[in-house]
Amino acid sequence: MTPHDEQPVTPEVIRALRDIVGADGVITGDDELLVYECDAYTLEKHLPGVVVLPRTTAEVAAVVKLCAQHHLPIIPRGAGTSLSGTVLAVTGGVMIAVTRMNRVLDIDFRNRRALVEAGCVNAWVTNAVKHRGLFYAPDPSSQSACTIGGNIGTNSGGPHTLKYGVTTNHVLGYELVLPDGEIVWLGSRPDEGEEVDGYDLRGAAIGSEGMFGIVTRVLLRLIRAPQAFKTLLGVFDSVDQASQAVSDIIGAGIVPGALEMMDQLITQAVEAAYHFGFPLDAGAVLIVELDGLAAGLDAQAERVVEICRENGAREVRIAKDEQERADLWKSRKRAFGAIGRLSPNFITQDGVVPRSKLPEMMRFIGECSRKYELRIPNVFHAGDGNLHPLILYDERDADQIRRALAASDDILGKCVELGGSVTGEHGIGAEKIDFMARQFSVDDLDAMRMLRRVFDPEGRSNPHKMFPGSKRCGDFAPKKQAGA
Amino acid sequence: MTISPATREELAALVRSANERHSPVSAPDLTRLNRVLEHTPEDMTVTVEAGCQFDELQKQLAQRGQWLPLDPPVADDLTIANLIARNPSGPRRFGFGTVRDHLIGLQVVLADGRLVRNGGKVVKNVAGFDLLKLFVGAEHSLGFVVEATFKLLPRPESECFVRARCESLDDARQVIDNVLESPLTPSVLDLHNDPLHGGRFSVVIGFSGSYAEVDWQLGRATQLGFGEAAALDYEQRFWESGADSPRRCSVAPAALVERLRTLDGAAFIARAGNGTIYFHGDATLPQPALPSALIQRVKSTFDPNGILPPPPSA
Repeated sequence: MTPHDEQPVTPEVIRALRDIVGADGVITGDDELLVYECDAYTLEKHLPGVVVLPRTTAEVAAVVKLCAQHHLPIIPRGAGTSLSGTVLAVTGGVMIAVTRMNRVLDIDFRNRRALVEAGCVNAWVTNAVKHRGLFYAPDPSSQSACTIGGNIGTNSGGPHTLKYGVTTNHVLGYELVLPDGEIVWLGSRPDEGEEVDGYDLRGAAIGSEGMFGIVTRVLLRLIRAPQAFKTLLGVFDSVDQASQAVSDIIGAGIVPGALEMMDQLITQAVEAAYHFGFPLDAGAVLIVELDGLAAGLDAQAERVVEICRENGAREVRIAKDEQERADLWKSRKRAFGAIGRLSPNFITQDGVVPRSKLPEMMRFIGECSRKYELRIPNVFHAGDGNLHPLILYDERDADQIRRALAASDDILGKCVELGGSVTGEHGIGAEKIDFMARQFSVDDLDAMRMLRRVFDPEGRSNPHKMFPGSKRCGDFAPKKQAGA
Repeated sequence: MTISPATREELAALVRSANERHSPVSAPDLTRLNRVLEHTPEDMTVTVEAGCQFDELQKQLAQRGQWLPLDPPVADDLTIANLIARNPSGPRRFGFGTVRDHLIGLQVVLADGRLVRNGGKVVKNVAGFDLLKLFVGAEHSLGFVVEATFKLLPRPESECFVRARCESLDDARQVIDNVLESPLTPSVLDLHNDPLHGGRFSVVIGFSGSYAEVDWQLGRATQLGFGEAAALDYEQRFWESGADSPRRCSVAPAALVERLRTLDGAAFIARAGNGTIYFHGDATLPQPALPSALIQRVKSTFDPNGILPPPPSA
């Protein structure tokens, strides 16, 4: 049974929830619930019936059991920074936010592991271990706010995935409260080895967007922080040139820690806002960060400079010290903020194409921009082929909204056509449900549903997400969006 | 009887028919599905039919300066299908990870004969559930993989291995701790008992990267007592020795030496950085708890008639 209709949360349920988590852990007032009506994807909104803030795994399990008895949807939530409506309470229900379960429980330096609660903020992990030369690799741009539990939900990436991989490559195991209230541990347990017999359920449930239950505790793998960095910035006349430089860097056997590109519109916006000294007619700016052992890094950097120049870079800057490195990154990290100068609203897209198709994809985005008469600046993870076109529009103009959505549709369709994906790191959520049937066959989707039935036979955990046929929310309330 | 399909559709039809008859099928012989379909070096990805030999794939990738950075101990006659089904890993897993870190897409014949895809051809992709992980190490119990896409790496410019001999497990533990606390970034960190080399135990570390990186690390390693050039030949000797195939156990890396003491002097190789031990012998080991009800539910959902091989045993 899928709960397609609004499930009322009765006063009896509210009382029972208060008994479990205490009165201060239950949010019912409409004004307070507003915080929980959407995530950073603000085109759709819906109020949950109630929000619960448990403090322990036992409390989570008790809440989930109660919801099972009353056939209520459960919607897991971390910090709500997701960008695709993953935590929307489409038909109300009980939202379980793990933000009070935010402790780093144990750091095991010898085994290079950290045990944290699901609500622990991503950046806190690295902050807790960097004095010993370790770090937690996945670093989504929202890392100062997003939670580890949320990262598991969307299998979060970040600018450094080219070299270091994504969340699934760095999570050893975790505790999950299944939708019937049973508590299981998937993957490696603290104090045990990393080989786990049987199926890799740990891996199968990472990126399941909260549809398999609620993550409560997580065992993370820590890795040695790079000894040195070399950060370069290349200024090119065209995106084609910069893309060719990206291909040549990879072709030379160099795997940078990060390989990020900004096109002309973004570069101009950044320059207008922050005055980094970029030429306003530059077609593209490429940021290349090499990291690892200090030995050999200079030679590698020289090779990257050569490759940039061979591809027509008019200027290549190398950060001489940590301050200059931070400045170069500022231009990338502030790019989204700079967009505010260009447009009141924008849609952040998240398509992926094979790296070699980047020039073709960028030309297509240019065509879309002309076709729909909307500006579409691009700032993206070039090393992964992961694009973040920012489709600019003004929500006061209904026709612009229509054109922005049409452009978004064309761009994601092209990503699929070029052998890519409609989402590299933001997830399907409520936003991209319609694209699943374009990227996957009916049978492909059915195989995914089979896995869902294993974890959640009733389909009560985070319903109406990911799969075509899910109920859509009709409300349309575009607002400014957060960056990627 | 082992089936030997000429196409994936033929395999799908055979499995469908077996499923209708509730008749068991073993893993197919995919000799005729052995092509490397698409290797785009600038994308650092490769798509390959599952009957392709692992060695043959590596050979083709090497011609373009790339590799799938996996080093299964027994790579002769290892198909991509079995690489995924058995999830073997070798000494370089400390630096490069295992199959699940590199597999980004697959096509599989399910028990009901449907051909389904999961993942894709791009290195970053979160569309839909990650079924790839289910099939890695599943020993063909959930379906037969017919095509796989992996992300690749450039072949390292240089690779070197060095050895430190230890008289006792306590000495070995100290050497391993010293490596882990140093700035070294080894791709291999193995401990094994090694009568052939005169010491009771050897710690072998390996470095993979540019000449400059590897040379610098070799210098530091010498200071830590790694004075002797080594090779990974102990691997092959170990896997070829003994009447039975080696057993595996896994502990947190810090508990490695304590566990090794309980093996009663059995021949072993330990991936010291990961805490994985392979050994010959019949020592009794503690069995970690598994979510067995969920595992059963996976099997019965994907193979309700039980026609595919049994799930991997604990």
